[in-house]
Amino acid sequence: MRIRSIAWANLKRRKGKAAFLIVGISIGIATVVALLTLSRLIKDEIGTQLDQFGANIIVVPQSNSLSLDYGGISVSGVSLDVNQLKDEDARRVLDIPYRNRISVVAPKILGVSNVEGQPVLLAGVNFDAELKLKRWWRLVGQKPAQDGDLLVGYDAAKRLSLIEETADGQSQAVPVMPMAEITSGGGVHANHIQEKAFRIARDRVQIGGNEFRVAGVITPTGGSEDQIIFGSLPRFQKLLGKPDQLSMIEVSALCIGCPVEEIVKQISTQLPNAKVSALQQSVRARAETVNRLTRFASAVSAVVLLIGGLMVFTTMMGSVVERTKEIGVLRAIGLRKRQIINELMIEVAAISTIGGLVGWTAGMLISWLILPYFSQSGLKLEIDPKIAIGAILVAVLIGAVSSVYPAIRASRLDPSEAVRYV
Amino acid sequence: MSFVVIKNVSKVYQPDGIDSAVRVLADINLAVQEGEFISLMGPSGSGKSTLLTIMGAMNRPSEGSVMVDGVDVYELPEERRADFRREYLGFVFQQHHLMPYLNTLENVMLPLVTSKTSAKEKRSRAMAVLQRVGLANKATRLPNQLSGGEQGRLAIARALVNEPPLILADEPTGTLDSNTGSEIMEVFQQLNAQGQTIFMVTHNPENALVAHRIVNIRDGRMFNESEKEQ
Repeated sequence: MRIRSIAWANLKRRKGKAAFLIVGISIGIATVVALLTLSRLIKDEIGTQLDQFGANIIVVPQSNSLSLDYGGISVSGVSLDVNQLKDEDARRVLDIPYRNRISVVAPKILGVSNVEGQPVLLAGVNFDAELKLKRWWRLVGQKPAQDGDLLVGYDAAKRLSLIEETADGQSQAVPVMPMAEITSGGGVHANHIQEKAFRIARDRVQIGGNEFRVAGVITPTGGSEDQIIFGSLPRFQKLLGKPDQLSMIEVSALCIGCPVEEIVKQISTQLPNAKVSALQQSVRARAETVNRLTRFASAVSAVVLLIGGLMVFTTMMGSVVERTKEIGVLRAIGLRKRQIINELMIEVAAISTIGGLVGWTAGMLISWLILPYFSQSGLKLEIDPKIAIGAILVAVLIGAVSSVYPAIRASRLDPSEAVRYV
Repeated sequence: MSFVVIKNVSKVYQPDGIDSAVRVLADINLAVQEGEFISLMGPSGSGKSTLLTIMGAMNRPSEGSVMVDGVDVYELPEERRADFRREYLGFVFQQHHLMPYLNTLENVMLPLVTSKTSAKEKRSRAMAVLQRVGLANKATRLPNQLSGGEQGRLAIARALVNEPPLILADEPTGTLDSNTGSEIMEVFQQLNAQGQTIFMVTHNPENALVAHRIVNIRDGRMFNESEKEQ
């Protein structure tokens, strides 16, 4: 017979109290596990969705020349660069150690050209990458399918008389990506300014002596792309007399919880002749969004755990009073204070371990049941052993901390008084 | 040299909410020889149980000292005093104070929980003691499945399992009928006959007569010590 045998026998005798404590701890742990699991999953989902909205890293050539504005960012010179970026530089971005964090690499060539007598900013792009990056765009017409196809910004199209307003109300505009891939509800529409209904009136345009097809017109965004004509990268490189050259590379990194500075550093190492900068505002805004979620979950968890701890404390205090005589006898027959504390702590540890395990199981079950109501993108619940171990450790910690005072108080009972206690 | 020497022991309590102190024991001097059986008699509130707990290393006297086997008990640090109780003393309480959730054998093994001996050895020692008090065949019973006399014998068995030199019994027959009380007193007599030193508090004159010596106490003072002829 050992101290733990007394603890075990006591637990068996006080099944009701033990069950009450297990249920209490389980509820606390289940709440915390469910909150943290859901918030983590939702955080990842929000992070992924936010990361899909535009670039958060810009790569431009090292240059002192004149800048042009593109997408609200200052872009280094388009004509006087000292160290031009090359096509292969865009591929080299994907050679960095953090390459699995990079979702889109969108290289561009920018240049001003005379289009039907008017100076217009041309952007040669890889349309697959570009449309993945600019998921908020909506098009009247189609996505470019051939090398000579263009996407034209609304203002540019209007100036070049490529579109005409229609009286029948709405443009037949379509988003560039299926809605479900972007966000829930009408998030994409919300990014657009009120548009006038229009249709493509002329689908051919002459640029630098070459004829191009206007595949689609981007509905007004309120951004600089309204002024730009987008064409395929190789065609515009040739047109602008800069074969194989790039003006900039936009990179979208999945940066929720990843060090964007580190990615910037890695790209800089990979492209020593380029200037790589993170759009701090964008990164911070994303981080702030998810951090709020985490803070909320943590605050609720802390309150729940505090309540759980208080419940263990009051139950243990009650138990000590109830067992005054018994503890007095143990002291009288020669158990040390430390051994009395051990006995009570073994009981609490056993209860807390079971409570932690039951709580984790219940928490995962709750998460699994309610996850579909929180996520539109079909997030899957994964069993993380670290959360299971953490739940049990937290339960034991809460139990232990809440029982320290009652246990010390029990150990200090005067045995001569306790054995008189009837 | 006496096995237990109580010298000039006094005990004063300060009850809660009362200004004046209450003197429970005053200037007690007593010596107990090895193998002796002493009965401590006195009316309720005379200080009998207080003297027993002071002898039992559980209740520090306000004045005086208690020496057991040459050890000044209250000079020991508190935790060492717990060890001392376990090694030197066996307690039999009036209410028996058995653990209701442990069976007979486990109750007897209780003082051995901190011992480093093997589970088998503990079990065999406990069974041997149960044999001595006639409860070997009820080792797996819970206390509430035993009669009052059996519970008393179980309490004695628990006090004996560590083979302590001194048994301290606080009115061990106080809650029992006369027949069962006699049964318990027989066990004490047998133990004493085997050389066990026993100090018993009782207010039953018949039970007191079983001892070699009767010490009377009233209002916290000893008086009229009587010794039986051997």
